[in-house]
Amino acid sequence: MEQRRKNSPRSLIAMLLAMAAAAVTIYLGWRYANRQYYVVSVLLILYFMAPFFLMFERRRPQARELVVIAVLTAIAVVSRVLFIWAPAVKPLLAFVIITGIAFGPESGFLTGALAAFVSNFVFGQGAWTPWQMFAYGLGGFLAGVLYQAGLLPKKRVPLAVFGFLTVFLLVGPVLDTCAIFLQPAAINWQLMKMLYLSGVPVNLLHGLCVALTLLLVSQPMFEKLERIKDKYGMMEG
Amino acid sequence: MEDAFAAYHPAVGFLFFLGAIITGMFFSHPLFLAISLFSSLLYYLLLRGRKGLKFLGGMVLLWAAMAALNAVLVQEGDTVLFTYWGGRVFTREALLYGICAGSIFLSVMLWFSCYNVVMTSDKFICLFGRLIPSLSLLLSMILRLIPNFENKAKTIMGARRCIGMSPDNGEKRERLRHSADILSVLTSWALEGAVVTADSMKSRGYGSGERSNFNIFRRSSRDTVAAGVLLGGLALLLVGVSHGAARAEFYPRITLGEWNGYTLLGALGYAVFLLTPSAIHIGEDVTWRILRSRI
Repeated sequence: MEQRRKNSPRSLIAMLLAMAAAAVTIYLGWRYANRQYYVVSVLLILYFMAPFFLMFERRRPQARELVVIAVLTAIAVVSRVLFIWAPAVKPLLAFVIITGIAFGPESGFLTGALAAFVSNFVFGQGAWTPWQMFAYGLGGFLAGVLYQAGLLPKKRVPLAVFGFLTVFLLVGPVLDTCAIFLQPAAINWQLMKMLYLSGVPVNLLHGLCVALTLLLVSQPMFEKLERIKDKYGMMEG
Repeated sequence: MEDAFAAYHPAVGFLFFLGAIITGMFFSHPLFLAISLFSSLLYYLLLRGRKGLKFLGGMVLLWAAMAALNAVLVQEGDTVLFTYWGGRVFTREALLYGICAGSIFLSVMLWFSCYNVVMTSDKFICLFGRLIPSLSLLLSMILRLIPNFENKAKTIMGARRCIGMSPDNGEKRERLRHSADILSVLTSWALEGAVVTADSMKSRGYGSGERSNFNIFRRSSRDTVAAGVLLGGLALLLVGVSHGAARAEFYPRITLGEWNGYTLLGALGYAVFLLTPSAIHIGEDVTWRILRSRI
């Protein structure tokens, strides 16, 4: 507890610094680097993600927390790798959401970002890696925040609906934005509309897949996590 | 064949790919673009050999599609090649910009493919293990767990096949249930295993001292030389670019930076930087051939 109090001004400073850096980057990108949407956006993503990772590092996590996060991330990665033959089937986010709810928004973000990063060792790292880390991390973070605020019940159907909406409205469009920034034609409204529209079927499928996974595995997963917590007295409070 | 550049210290590799990818994204000047495209292509083919050709074919198609798409969508540019659909113009500038932008995309994609071959995950962890100890531990645990899970899943599947409950038995509905059961068993096992691992880590003193990390890479003089060459190339490039050598604007008219000594200097530096890995690769190949022919 004491340590957390000691950290809070530091993390506040880190956050302010990140915001200042973001403002400067946007200004410089606007003023000098014409059409460098991708570079500017990746820098912004890095500023956003850095505090999460730094906070995790600072906290000097205990062995149990580390290993459980590792296991959940690995399960999420395996769920994506199992369907390597059908790239549109990505249940990964379902496990990230479950982690976010079970262990809080920070762990949710971490799991999402790491799962995206690690699964790309199988699928291939690319210019999309930071965006995927950001998108999946955000999904896990959101799930954790909403659950802690009491807005998202731990029940099957609301979770599935939440999973679908998160993919369809947040994760999918974020990834589409990455695709827009990566394609080299000059960006205008016409092009953006076209590319977002072409992303809709993919996002629909992705969302349905996540929703279905949540429908099937969320309750057993929570039971198992509860059991582990009970049996070994972990992560109380 | 093993790549000789991959045997260098990971820091050298990381420096190279960071520089190659970042500069690759920025330049739209045809000369610099050509250097980037040529060296990425060369290194990619050296690394992948014939296997790389298929990917390359797809990429070239994408590249052509991008150039065409840009020319169709963008209406800017002074030199109209032809008009169609009553009023829409097809300009030379838009076409050339599309070609250049497609080349940027292609060369960055190729650099990433090379990165995936050269910079394996152990190198990444070796580089960042000191800087982010908890995260890199987490990463290496995850990377180890994945093959571990696959093996365990196979074991579970085998056991369940014996009692007729593997995913390839029964109707669709049953199959789905059987797959879900396997996932469930795997998860329970993994979580229990996690706690045991954690306790074992703790009893062996995790967190009591500074962490060391996996590192089989030793810095040697050739790494210093390679890093020096790379940094020298980058420095020349920077000198050239800061004098406007790589300036390129496409709309409304194509204007390039003035061709002078700085253009040459920047291009030379860029070529030195980007061709270093290929040169090391080819050099090693040649040495090997010569040595063998003497036997």
